[in-house]
Amino acid sequence: MKENNMSRRDFVKGVATGVCAGAFASMGLYSYTGAAYDRLPKSERKFHDFGAVRSVKVVNISETSWFSNADLIGDIHAAGGLLVNQYTLNWAPFANGKGTAKGSYDSGLASIKDLIPHDLEKAWDIQRKLALHPENPGGFSCLLEVEALDGTKHNYLLDSGWSYEWMDKSFKREGIDKMLEARQIEGLFISHEHWDHFWGLPVTMKYDNRIPLYIHDGFYKEGLQYIKDSGYKGTPFIQKEPLHQVMPGMAVVKFDVPIINRVFGETSLAFNVKDKGLVLISGCCHQGILQMADFAYTDLKYDNDKFYGIYGGLHISPFEDWDPKYDDLVISLGKWNFDRIGCNHCTGHLTARKFIERGYPVVRGSARFRSSSPDYLGNGDTITF
Amino acid sequence: MRQTAEGVPGRPPSLAPTQVPFSAGEFLMDKDSTGILYLESRRLVKRWSGPWPALVNTLVMAVFFYITWWIFQDPRGVFRLYTPYVGYMVCRWMLILFIWLAYIFDFWPFKRSWLERTHPVVKGTVLTLVSVAAMFVLIKGFFIELLGNYGIAYFNPSRLEEMGITEFYALEYATEAIMMFAAIASWLSPSWVVACEGAPWNKLKQPAKGLTIMVVTFFLSMVVYFVTMHSHMAILFYPWQQYTAITPPYWETFANTVSGNFHIAWIMCCTVVVWQFETIWERYPFNLIKTDWLRRTASFFGIILIALALCFFLYYAQDLVWGETVRGTRRLAAPDWRWLHVGEMAIFWLVPTLFLNFYCGNWPNNFSRPVRVCIRTFLTAALAVLVYVVYYKTSHLFLGTQKGFSHPQQFPMIPMIWLINIFLINVWFMDGWPGWKAVPRTAEELQEVEDEKVASDVRWSPALAKGLAVGIACGVGLYAVVVGVLPWIGQTVQIIK
Repeated sequence: MKENNMSRRDFVKGVATGVCAGAFASMGLYSYTGAAYDRLPKSERKFHDFGAVRSVKVVNISETSWFSNADLIGDIHAAGGLLVNQYTLNWAPFANGKGTAKGSYDSGLASIKDLIPHDLEKAWDIQRKLALHPENPGGFSCLLEVEALDGTKHNYLLDSGWSYEWMDKSFKREGIDKMLEARQIEGLFISHEHWDHFWGLPVTMKYDNRIPLYIHDGFYKEGLQYIKDSGYKGTPFIQKEPLHQVMPGMAVVKFDVPIINRVFGETSLAFNVKDKGLVLISGCCHQGILQMADFAYTDLKYDNDKFYGIYGGLHISPFEDWDPKYDDLVISLGKWNFDRIGCNHCTGHLTARKFIERGYPVVRGSARFRSSSPDYLGNGDTITF
Repeated sequence: MRQTAEGVPGRPPSLAPTQVPFSAGEFLMDKDSTGILYLESRRLVKRWSGPWPALVNTLVMAVFFYITWWIFQDPRGVFRLYTPYVGYMVCRWMLILFIWLAYIFDFWPFKRSWLERTHPVVKGTVLTLVSVAAMFVLIKGFFIELLGNYGIAYFNPSRLEEMGITEFYALEYATEAIMMFAAIASWLSPSWVVACEGAPWNKLKQPAKGLTIMVVTFFLSMVVYFVTMHSHMAILFYPWQQYTAITPPYWETFANTVSGNFHIAWIMCCTVVVWQFETIWERYPFNLIKTDWLRRTASFFGIILIALALCFFLYYAQDLVWGETVRGTRRLAAPDWRWLHVGEMAIFWLVPTLFLNFYCGNWPNNFSRPVRVCIRTFLTAALAVLVYVVYYKTSHLFLGTQKGFSHPQQFPMIPMIWLINIFLINVWFMDGWPGWKAVPRTAEELQEVEDEKVASDVRWSPALAKGLAVGIACGVGLYAVVVGVLPWIGQTVQIIK
């Protein structure tokens, strides 16, 4: 009896030991092997047909979102780092004069609320006295001239920049103000809620406050309020689905990604250019250019099954910082075989230089209007896909 | 591991020699030189019966955690160290200093009599402040000033800034490098004590013993740092520093990334497995080996092998849930982030592991050693999943972190290690106050602890062999079930909305 008991106890001890040993052994011997990955389901391509366009021309209104990395990062660092809510940083137009990290949406905008969008010059002058580094803001915005297959032209804006003063000047330089007043621009896409893409919204509103407005559903309550406070008289289209077709051959693609300084989500644009292939255009591309390309590969149907071009901020080294994971991107981008790479803004000069060193087809710029390097497309430059 | 009726939060390390030279309450002045660690010489007794000590301590630590988090780490708080690398470096080095002070130096230069007589709050405050001061000297004096000025420039943020790097990133790069060193040391230092039992210097007196083990593990950490992380740092700068480091790093093909996060993954798993081995596993099964050198060697390398198994599984699990990685992408689909997340997931397992050991008397204790080890393993794994889900659902609401799994500034390792540091201050420096108090162990109890070094309660027999075979089959089956279920979880469960 005692012996049976002992055997049973030993058996249980063996089972308990074996379960752990077997589980850990399997984890170690199988998990990171070719066999384990062979059994993973291969993603099925959906080939969503969203039509085609004849061409897309991008006019770079402004890619210089700020003019001093040191000031920008210094302000963020002083406020507590990359996680701090952007509306508290005490940057224009939400500055209240109380200093680093002591700003707020309400206290900042209160000083200029009655002036936007009709008197932006005075509004910015007031904010200039209250804000940290008021000369640093610039902004990102570009005009998209899309030619449909029937030859009709359609104009869209991607983003509205940051500094009222800089953006108004940039709009006038490229004739955007007149196009907006004449209602020749059919929509404004705000790629994400960040200061340099969104806070210049009153500049667009100044000229057309009923323009169809497209935003990501991750906007925070301050962002939604700012749309109203900017004088917008329409109802923004808040995108909830991953894909929204704007016109044949043009779609907005939505990505749910957390972004620095308490921003959530980004939308980018995809075009199928007839006989050429897919063109991807982004504001900042916080989701990652290859993530966007992978989404397009899996979900969309495009001519020649070919990645033709990309344009925009590719968000790799926006502050000229670096991380080995960016090298993963530089190394891998070649495998996607883009024919034309039009990058700028948060792509970073260092990244552009590394692209060029690897022989990628980077379209160079003219380094005008305060764009600092010809390595990529600067302010006033254009690219046609 | 022997538990007492009162409950013992925390297994003391087994560094004592076989002879027990004193009985409880005697030789107060001589105890410093007995070779028995302070943590081993005490028994922690509950002040109140039932679950109250655990509940009170949990509440006290939660409050202390949140206050200190707000003061030091929170991006909305006072010092705002969570940049994230500055805060990450601080909490990793605090962990190391606590381990050195309690495990390696046995609280030297503090007298045993002072440790036994001083109120836990005073003791906790003094020992924590001393550790923080030592940490400051080490970071500022050794890494930034000495290494950063006379060895490798990237340890010194001022030098990086002088070479044109933005102040913020200069500080982040330098603190990242210093932090990486701590990550390696937080595996090797306790591993030398726990797995190698401090050999061959376990019979030296303090501070010779502490200094020797510290220097040896520091040296080993440096070697591991150079073969794992130096290349990562070298490709941070343009152009790649090919004359001073291996570029591209040798792990690129295997890990599908040039990022050193690959090494972070397995090293973090080593750190976690060391403590599991020491606490909930009661050093089983390697303590069945009677030959000292073989047991120590098997323990040291066994921990690494188990950690590698855990590392590969946690990586594969992510691929099963989120789909295969795409190299060059950012965030969730990027291989470098998935490797980092392996380390993060491992840390989520360490929190319930230590809590169970420290505050729940290493429950359960009324089964045979293999059974209780098995139960604790799966129980803490389940609790780790719970902590993981709760963290990602709520942390952005009260810690000032960013919503989402993969934000570059979302480092769950920081709050988790901050919490673990508070556990250690409470149990190691404050004798579990307020729920517990320390009483000296009797000579018999000390002998029992010593006897535990080599387990004798599991012996080879045909029944054990049969059980082992059945168990292994069950373990493999369990693994297959988990691997089968994970893709379904990925498609149906949404933690962050």
